[in-house]
Amino acid sequence: MSAATAHAVAAAHAGHHGDHHAPAVDNYKEQLRNNRLGLWLFFISETFLFGGLLAVRFFLWGDHRPELDQFIGLLVTSVLLLSSFTMNLAEKGMEHGDMKTFSRGLLATAVLGTIFLLGVLVFEWGLFPAIYQGHLTPWDNVYGAVVFAMTGMHALHVLSGIVFIFIVWRLGRQGHYTPQRHWGVEACAIYWHFVDLVWIFFYPALYLIGTPVH
Amino acid sequence: MNEKRAAAYRLSATVALVLAVLTIIEYVAGVYWPSPVVLMLLALFKAVAVLNYFMHVSRLWTAEEEH
Amino acid sequence: MSLMSLGLVRGLIGQALGTLAGLFLVTLIRVLAGMDPIWAEEPAWVTGAVLGVIGFLIGVGALTDWAKWTVGIPTPLHHGPPVGKPAWVRYFSVDYNHKVIGIQYGVTGLLMLMIGGAFAVIFRTELSRTGLQFLSADTYNTLLSMHGWAALMAILLGIGGMANYLVPLMLGAEDMAFPRLNAFAYWLNVPSIVLLMTSLFFGWDGGWTVYPPLSVIGSVGYQFVFYSIFTLGLSSVLGSLNLIATILRMRPPGMTLFRMPIFCWAILATSMIQLTATQLIGLAFLMVSFERLLGMGFFDFEKGGTPILFQHLFWFYSHPAVYIFVLPGLGIISEILPVFARKPLFGYRWIALSSLAIALVGFLVWGHHMFTSGYAEYLRVPFMLATLLVAVPTGVKFFSWLGTIWGGRLTFPTPMLFVLGAISVFLIGGLSGPILATVASDLHLHDSYFVVGHFHATIFGGFTFPFFAAIYYWYPKITGRMYNEAMGKLHFWIMTPAFWMMSIGQMSVGVMGMRRRIADYDPALGVEFGHILVTIAGFAIAFSILIMIYNLLHSAEVGKVAGANPWRSRSPEWQIPSPVPEHSFAAPIAVVGEPYDYGLPNSTYIRMAGAAGDD
Repeated sequence: MSAATAHAVAAAHAGHHGDHHAPAVDNYKEQLRNNRLGLWLFFISETFLFGGLLAVRFFLWGDHRPELDQFIGLLVTSVLLLSSFTMNLAEKGMEHGDMKTFSRGLLATAVLGTIFLLGVLVFEWGLFPAIYQGHLTPWDNVYGAVVFAMTGMHALHVLSGIVFIFIVWRLGRQGHYTPQRHWGVEACAIYWHFVDLVWIFFYPALYLIGTPVH
Repeated sequence: MNEKRAAAYRLSATVALVLAVLTIIEYVAGVYWPSPVVLMLLALFKAVAVLNYFMHVSRLWTAEEEH
Repeated sequence: MSLMSLGLVRGLIGQALGTLAGLFLVTLIRVLAGMDPIWAEEPAWVTGAVLGVIGFLIGVGALTDWAKWTVGIPTPLHHGPPVGKPAWVRYFSVDYNHKVIGIQYGVTGLLMLMIGGAFAVIFRTELSRTGLQFLSADTYNTLLSMHGWAALMAILLGIGGMANYLVPLMLGAEDMAFPRLNAFAYWLNVPSIVLLMTSLFFGWDGGWTVYPPLSVIGSVGYQFVFYSIFTLGLSSVLGSLNLIATILRMRPPGMTLFRMPIFCWAILATSMIQLTATQLIGLAFLMVSFERLLGMGFFDFEKGGTPILFQHLFWFYSHPAVYIFVLPGLGIISEILPVFARKPLFGYRWIALSSLAIALVGFLVWGHHMFTSGYAEYLRVPFMLATLLVAVPTGVKFFSWLGTIWGGRLTFPTPMLFVLGAISVFLIGGLSGPILATVASDLHLHDSYFVVGHFHATIFGGFTFPFFAAIYYWYPKITGRMYNEAMGKLHFWIMTPAFWMMSIGQMSVGVMGMRRRIADYDPALGVEFGHILVTIAGFAIAFSILIMIYNLLHSAEVGKVAGANPWRSRSPEWQIPSPVPEHSFAAPIAVVGEPYDYGLPNSTYIRMAGAAGDD
């Protein structure tokens, strides 16, 4: 673990905008490493939240699962996977100074994320019976309850990720990031991938593991 | 510079492709041979790929260029 | 200067407005959707509670800088007291200096300690006689439940105070890794306290554990508790994240992990639990909240759920939480003992690693709270063995303290007295632990006053006594003045014997058959005399704490000037002036030796830049 020099520590207060009194490069590097560690610690914490939901699923369902539409499951999973790809392109675009890929990648990610969210709300939740008649409710039994809890908590994170993407997209267009300094983009990207990572485990737990009950 | 950029995009596409293939295998396994262990192992493989290639977990302990 | 320049006032107004907005929003939606009746208590208050917390954070200004970042406005960090306002205003507003935030945490913690203690004294008085004298059974249960969470809040706040104030100073760092997050984490606590106090008006009677089904069918007051604790938990998560990042990343050259003051190790271990386990209680409370709101049947047998699931989720946090409460206090003991023994700390590495060991083993023991819950019987023995294992690292700490005292040249100012008191009280709690961890005896003692005696001894020994020791010990560093030694000693000599009497009294009435959480008991149990003693002891403890509060307030005005290092400590925070200046360290420090080599010739721990090399 490289120790921070006291100079950089004093300047580290300045967030990603830098303190004018300190040598800017050192300061930015130290703060960047702090930020990365902080965000990963947050992921570790969140892992316990989503792990708790998975534990609830296995505790209450055991080797059973509700009958869910397999096509929808595969579809939303693929959409989210694709969004991780476009997000990665956006981040690499920024790293290599390719603003067009950065901008388009972010927008594509937001669109795909919205499609995922709508897929969950319309098809898994059956929120709009006019379009799709869902058969699960949160209140009937524990199958519906756990599906709504897991997808709901995950959807909340997808939603916050989309908001994050728009903030970063706008700042990016205004020229706040450079190929050398774009912690905001990196944070947004790895947050999005983390949300995808959660779904990687939620998808089999909800759709594939266990024998379906009717 | 453009060489590097193209290589980076290619790596990105390759990882996405591998993830897609794993997802299809997962789906087929889930429908025809739903073993929790196999399914969770597949998920674990996908997770490691995402952690390593998309989330750059190694940046936590390697001091590299500014990003 | 108007009242509105205080962030606290703006925050409270924001919380009131947010709550009203929530009530209005839900009612409006119900009107528009044509639902009947228009007023629905549960969704309205829940939305009000959540929007109220957000309203507070906006009002106090904890979100201002981040909001500016989202639109690309730079926010250079302001140092020092607010411009054009009295200096004390910063303690009631968002301030990014860790020393200010530490004081905010600590004072709020003391306040909650007194509120929680007041609840206890009230219902303790009711218990001193059989029959119901002045409380109804429902009021009794509400007060008892409030006492639980108010006291736990006080503990978390007290720990936040010690950690925020001390860790950056002890590391020789200028501040925490994320100053804005630090302020945000503190200010989450205030709306949380408001929510908890609001629950008092609705009444809730589940005890601090709020098990379903009682918490599902009880009053809407439970919802306030859930969102209060959820907010508190968010503060815990973010605060601990910040502390871990600070300890791992903000150390100056030479300050290796094994050269940190030992308190930092305790905070590292504590923060690892807080960062992770807290999510599970948040999840558990959200699930009960939504079972009430939407009828989601997680804990409802008729819908395929089970209340035992709640107990698993709850204790997965709440047992490790006990170690969150005591590890910092045990760290304080290890920190202060060598200073007053003028001897090296015995087995530094063992103490450091025993904190980590307690934290890790602590994740595997939650089931010992559930021996009587009716869960699978094969789980009992593994949980028992894991629990007994905790005694090993705890024992390491005890023997290391004894080794430190052994042959030392002891002096006994108030902080040292409280440290020794803490050891004696924690010993009572520690020795009664394995009795409860053992399945056979726990089946008999579960839910009895023996448990009450046991955990009060661990919490007082592991938190309250060390917290008071820390307050007296660092008081001269914080205020620049010495507390009144005579009053400090009086506080100690009232509180310690009173606590022994209270704790042992509680355990005895428990063994005789007194159950927890009931307002009345059968005179034939023969426990009335015990209850009278416990009540008297409770009043004595409360009185002694008032002496301390008076001492702290009074000495800040008239205490004699303390100087930089009245305890002749080697730790970095004592090598700088008291009170600590705005920028703690005028120049970077260099760590060149071991932290606790008291009494060894030619040993140096740190060098201040510009000074000659002696300590």
